[in-house]
Amino acid sequence: MEEQLKNINTLPALTWNHLGVNRAELIAQQTGKSTASIPEEFGRIKTGMGEEAADFAAHNCTDYHVIEAEAGKEIIDAESMRYSLADEHPTVDVTLIHAHEGSSVTVLQSYTSADNTACFHGGLTKIIADKGAWVRLVQVQMLNNRSRHFDDVGFLLGDGAHAEIVQAELGGKDAFAGCLALLEGYQSSFGADTIYLGEEDRRLDMNYIARHTGRKTTSDMTAAGALFGHSDKIYRGTIDFIRGASHSVGHEVENTLLFSPEARNRTVPLILCSEEDVDGQHAATIGKINAQRLFYLLSRGLTEAQAKQLVIEAQFAPAIAKVPDTALQDAIKEYLGRRMQLD
Amino acid sequence: MSNTLQKNKIEEVDHSLYDFKDAVHPSFETNAGLTPEIVEQISREKGDPDWMRAFRLKSLEIYNQLSVPEWGPPIDGLDMNNIVAYVRPDTPMRGKWSEVPSDIKNTFERLGIPEAERKSLAGVGAQYDSEVVYHNVREEVAAQGVVYTDMESALKGKYADMVREHFMKLVPPTDHKFAALHGAVWSGGSFVYVPAGVKVEIPLQSYFRLNAPGAGQFEHTLIIVDKGAYLHFIEGCSAPKYNVANLHAGCVELFVEEGARLRYSTIENWSKNMYNLNTKRALVKKGGAIEWVSGSFGSHTSYLYPMSVLQGEGARMEFTGITFAGRGQQLDTGAKVVHAAPHTSSHIVTKSISKDGGECTYRSAVTIAKNAVGCKSSVSCESLMLDSKSRSDTIPAMDIRNDDADVGHEAKIGRISDDAVFYLMSRGISEEDARAMIVSGFAEPISKELPVEYAVEMNNLIKLEMDDKSAPVCKA
Amino acid sequence: MAEKLLEVSGLHASVEDKEILSGLDLNVSAGETHVIMGPNGAGKSTLGNVILGNPEYIINAGKILFEGADITREKTDARARRGIFMSFQSPEEVPGVTLEDFLRVSKTAVTGKPLKVFAFKKQLKKTMAALNMDESYAQRYLNVGFSGGEKKKAEILQMLTLQPKLAILDETDSGLDVDAVRIVSEGIRQYKNESNALLIITHNAKILEGLKVDYVHILTDGKIVHTGGPELIDEISRDGFHRWEESAAQ
Repeated sequence: MEEQLKNINTLPALTWNHLGVNRAELIAQQTGKSTASIPEEFGRIKTGMGEEAADFAAHNCTDYHVIEAEAGKEIIDAESMRYSLADEHPTVDVTLIHAHEGSSVTVLQSYTSADNTACFHGGLTKIIADKGAWVRLVQVQMLNNRSRHFDDVGFLLGDGAHAEIVQAELGGKDAFAGCLALLEGYQSSFGADTIYLGEEDRRLDMNYIARHTGRKTTSDMTAAGALFGHSDKIYRGTIDFIRGASHSVGHEVENTLLFSPEARNRTVPLILCSEEDVDGQHAATIGKINAQRLFYLLSRGLTEAQAKQLVIEAQFAPAIAKVPDTALQDAIKEYLGRRMQLD
Repeated sequence: MSNTLQKNKIEEVDHSLYDFKDAVHPSFETNAGLTPEIVEQISREKGDPDWMRAFRLKSLEIYNQLSVPEWGPPIDGLDMNNIVAYVRPDTPMRGKWSEVPSDIKNTFERLGIPEAERKSLAGVGAQYDSEVVYHNVREEVAAQGVVYTDMESALKGKYADMVREHFMKLVPPTDHKFAALHGAVWSGGSFVYVPAGVKVEIPLQSYFRLNAPGAGQFEHTLIIVDKGAYLHFIEGCSAPKYNVANLHAGCVELFVEEGARLRYSTIENWSKNMYNLNTKRALVKKGGAIEWVSGSFGSHTSYLYPMSVLQGEGARMEFTGITFAGRGQQLDTGAKVVHAAPHTSSHIVTKSISKDGGECTYRSAVTIAKNAVGCKSSVSCESLMLDSKSRSDTIPAMDIRNDDADVGHEAKIGRISDDAVFYLMSRGISEEDARAMIVSGFAEPISKELPVEYAVEMNNLIKLEMDDKSAPVCKA
Repeated sequence: MAEKLLEVSGLHASVEDKEILSGLDLNVSAGETHVIMGPNGAGKSTLGNVILGNPEYIINAGKILFEGADITREKTDARARRGIFMSFQSPEEVPGVTLEDFLRVSKTAVTGKPLKVFAFKKQLKKTMAALNMDESYAQRYLNVGFSGGEKKKAEILQMLTLQPKLAILDETDSGLDVDAVRIVSEGIRQYKNESNALLIITHNAKILEGLKVDYVHILTDGKIVHTGGPELIDEISRDGFHRWEESAAQ
């Protein structure tokens, strides 16, 4: 059974409808599985894709993980959340992470296709980082070009907590990702590293929000991507300074490389601000590979494909380096290399 | 020398200069609200040609079908049932200031319009409520074939066909609800035609004054700059403050032909009961250029995003804008550009200042069409927050549909730096003046683009009252 | 006896709850040139900021007198109008305000008198030439896009224009090449006369060449631990601050 989700990745402040960026719709596949219980403490955490996506995931959960890091402890889980989709089976995973005071958590979630069937994946991850905790969530999506996918994430940060998300949206037919970080704690900080690859008729739809309510909070969001084929991508990135979030800093940068005259790129970087004492900045560059740089590389004997690959890899490298498994890092590079050969 | 240092106190925009009211004694006005009867009545009063009467009624239908946008600041305070769509002043249009009735003439004199005309303008149009009361163009300019007249005359005169060919073609009534409203009840405004190759060296100016409380002003400006020609057009707007909502839903359509250049400057200082829902659009042909300079200081609520359609190869647009929102104001401003042809370029620079609970929104859309290869676009917007009661949002969007594009965007938001204030104070400048100096410095790159005669008005706008005792005034 | 300009006594000051100055005493009289030397983090820059009343620094105890008046709680601009000037280590950039306009306003503020514009312009041109500054800088926005050296020259230009009674030079030589140091030193010599005073904060002896130094103070751990004559400069250039750091530690 399919379910139409109509209010997905809603832009925190709406703009002209004809741009088609205010919200997205997605067709989710029901799993018939039971409802995941979301404990009270996670209930209040909002996510980037919005309530409809989060509710759908909670009501169709096939895989449920709870990670609780006790105060001062360190957890690295790079194994237990690797999903290989096959046989048109839908997978919906719900993961709840609570990093208690001073703990450190690294979690890897990866989604790949074992065959060429059209599969559906939906994911919901909610994270609480208590005082002084450190959390890194790494999500790598390399599904086949027939599959549909969404990943919905929400963070709640306490005093001095640091959380970051590393997201690689590299596959699928339709890929939706959203992340909302609520920087509630004094001196809490949030980082987002997103890399994406558009090809064929892939539709990529992303919504990132850093909401600053605490004092001296910091957010830093970076997105880098490359668009091939007929791909169509929307990246929404919002820095939201709420009154009271004094001495806060929010930065956001997106760099998009365009490789196809048929690809479409939409970039919507918002700064919303009701606090005077802040520093907010965003920047976006969209275009071809710098001609000088390309010429330089070709003059050193690289083929155009090699040169492009090198440039893309360089853009993606900081995010890939944060993947907590070198074998998977290599797999991503190989995956990108194969894609580049096709072009 | 620059006038930076004279605009020295960061006061709210001073409105006292504009806030005088004339007694209202129109020769005719419609009832409040909007019905086909009222639209027919306006059409009859204005002696429209048949096609225009039909156009108005069709627009009203569209208006009734469309809903208000789901984005932007609230416009709940605006009830169309209370807006008087048409107020005709008690005078026919004049070609000499001396013939304009004294109360209306006094209004424009207090605003400095006749003086500006004598000094530095090629022609002036002045609209009072719904009708243009004065229109004049210098002889030597007219001799070049430049036409500058009110829309009503243009609709019936020698240029009737040209008007009909262009009227609301660029901004069709279907564009949005208030464009439809405009189509139904428009009145007044200017028609300008600059023949091919003619360069009008000094600017033309239209000034819009809305005096009647609870009224709407719906002037239509249609400008055609023919091949290789040049024009600088200035519009200024003001109104006294009433405690009922007034509405301004004007429409500006600019046609910039091949190789032509049009500079369009606006100083908008409507009173703070005004809903300013204005639509401006330019169509630029091959090698042509549109330059917008926009200062938004007044209004209770503004929706204002001049749009440029770069239709011909190599067409250019530049947009330079400043918005200053004080108490009770919600000013949603920005720009739109569609790169519809190859090798077109756009360059947008904006600044905004929010103070005393004022809300500024910068909103923009840059679209590069599939066939428009080799285009360049750069956007830079900076916002200054002067306190935490205020609000400042930046909502840009880019839609790029081919790979041969070079698009850059940057935005910054922040406050006056304490270190900079300390630095200036260490040179003997008071804290208040130091802050004022930083704010006017912030605005300077934009204000220097404003027409010279408006720099004076700008001084009135960002209040230059200085405390004689402490502030170092230098007269240079 | 020369007229007393600055008297600092028992000064304790902190920034973000960290005490930087811990009981500092210093007296500067008209006609004198004082040099403050000390290792990094000793509180040298704090001293200049506190004398100018930077609100980021909190005075916990002690007093600052200028020409006998207590200015400990006075606002920065009032101090500047009394005739105190500081050349900043890294001067702020102020977009939209030209250097000339800025100088005009501050000159008027400091003197409290209307400015004779023509004479002012002429003098400005002359001073800029002496500092080997291109005239075009007068029309550029204050410090915006200036190189390190240009910023320092602009500071000295301000000093020469405002003619303060006490000029505090905070690491004015840092980031300057040899030629620029020479020009800046020349500017400082030009400024100095019998009725004004210099307080030079530095860790580098170069800028002091050709200046008649009266007193050298060693500042470590927020206090002046030793005061001597110009002979100290050579000693520090040779041996550094170990001697005083050790004695402070004892």
